[in-house]
Amino acid sequence: MSLYEFLGTLEVGFVFGLVALGTFLTFRVLDFPDLTVEGSFPLGAAVTAAAIVAGGWNPWLATLAGPVAGFAAGWVTAYLNVRFKILHILAGILVAISLYSINLRIMAGPNKPLLGTPTILSTFEGLGYPTYMITPIFFGVILLVVKVLIDLFLSTGVGLAMRATGANPAMAAANGIDTGRMRLIGVGIANGLCALAGALFAQLFGAADAYMGIGVIIVGLASVIVGMAIAPSRLVYQATLACIIGALLYRFAVSAALNAEFLGLKASDVQLVTALLVTGTLIIQQTGGPAKWFKRGKRP
Amino acid sequence: MIQMNDIVVTFNKGTPLESTALRQVSLEVPQGQFLTVIGSNGAGKSTSLNVIAGLAPVEQGRVHVDGNDITDWPVHRRARLISRVFQDPKMGTCENLSILENFALAQGRTQPAGLGFAIRQGARKRIAERLKMLDLGLESRLDDKVGLLSGGQRQAVSLLMATTGETRVLLLDEHTAALDPKTAEFVVQLTQRIVRELKLTAVMVTHSMAQALHFGDRTVMFHRGRIIFDVQGHEREQLTVQDLLTLFKRDQGEDMSDDALLLS
Repeated sequence: MSLYEFLGTLEVGFVFGLVALGTFLTFRVLDFPDLTVEGSFPLGAAVTAAAIVAGGWNPWLATLAGPVAGFAAGWVTAYLNVRFKILHILAGILVAISLYSINLRIMAGPNKPLLGTPTILSTFEGLGYPTYMITPIFFGVILLVVKVLIDLFLSTGVGLAMRATGANPAMAAANGIDTGRMRLIGVGIANGLCALAGALFAQLFGAADAYMGIGVIIVGLASVIVGMAIAPSRLVYQATLACIIGALLYRFAVSAALNAEFLGLKASDVQLVTALLVTGTLIIQQTGGPAKWFKRGKRP
Repeated sequence: MIQMNDIVVTFNKGTPLESTALRQVSLEVPQGQFLTVIGSNGAGKSTSLNVIAGLAPVEQGRVHVDGNDITDWPVHRRARLISRVFQDPKMGTCENLSILENFALAQGRTQPAGLGFAIRQGARKRIAERLKMLDLGLESRLDDKVGLLSGGQRQAVSLLMATTGETRVLLLDEHTAALDPKTAEFVVQLTQRIVRELKLTAVMVTHSMAQALHFGDRTVMFHRGRIIFDVQGHEREQLTVQDLLTLFKRDQGEDMSDDALLLS
């Protein structure tokens, strides 16, 4: 792997670190399996790209508009669940597929190229350093700031209430916590993060695309599961760090798999590789590792 | 302090599984009273507690606590007035949060959570001080996850959490049923002590007749969704478990069939 490839993998890893943190909030903290992400990731990209290209917005402002839209999408999913008791997974799917149509509307087509237009990344062009070095640093800083903000948030009164909502809703309610509101806020924030990731991803690759959300939830989940299987995650700041480690590890594993010529994999095999990785990690967690597979006695 | 007027609760209404849990139950618990509630399975004792806590759907009737009509309040809003200890030790605490964090949550019952840090300055010392009264050594384990504690320890912690803050009403839903006899005795003694010290209005549902008569200052018995029996004061002090069984037989013309109730 060349330095160029390494840095390229790193920057994408950082972007998906945001998705991993969002997935951590929903799946782990709130115990709310949220599939809205499949729609909010391209939503963030679409809103930001449309704001820059069609709206002529300042790219920084446009990048902030993405997460705001994502928050709204997450809010809708949680509202369907909290207010109308629609199953969380179904609510997420409903919002995600409706977002597919909405994204096509926002972009007035299946994609929105950002070539030749100013982006937040083009702001760094005049500094004299190559973009492929600045971008990963910039994305790394964003991810780090978001991680610290989440750590701080989860140690506030509201954050603690959110953790209790996911861990023991009956106890949370008995202690005066409005668990419905916690889900609205938490799922909203998580989708805001995924939309931010989408907004950055679009600017990195020079286009927003209606299909770019496919498999994002599995990537987020893969990062959380792999990260927590490998790194310590007892305390909140360890858990968020584990998610980020997972996101990076996942990226490197996928790029290694695709680069290994003897495997003969193509870029389009990413989703399959991801699914296999997640399944493998889950099986290892369930069965206690390869060492136990061949032992005699009761099967787990 | 607590008033229930003509409460009717029907589960699964309009389905073949329809069952009436409470039939026009009225009950008034004055301030500072420690009421114990007994009854066999399905008698309506836990349901009546759930009506006060906001977990059972009230079809008819009103519930008042401390002068507020709380019939339509959601559970979390009632938490300002009412605190509760669950039967299952796992329910009353959050096992993957530390003891300290659990207390911080309980604090939120009367002081709404904001964006300040959940664990405020001085909280550590105050909570350690409070845990000392348990004499279980928990004051030195504030950062341990509650999941590491035994059932009895968790129940004792739940009880302390439920009685921090300004809530004046304490609901205890068979909170010693899942514990071994010795621990159960410890927890129920502790309950009596805290209720008396803080002059709380308490309702304790229990399966044990002996416990119901021995603790608190008034006992009601539920049977098939009605209160069939209500004693306090001198009359109650004279009463034995055997008397209760005789009374039950005379009133209802049937034998008490619930073994769990008889044996304990």
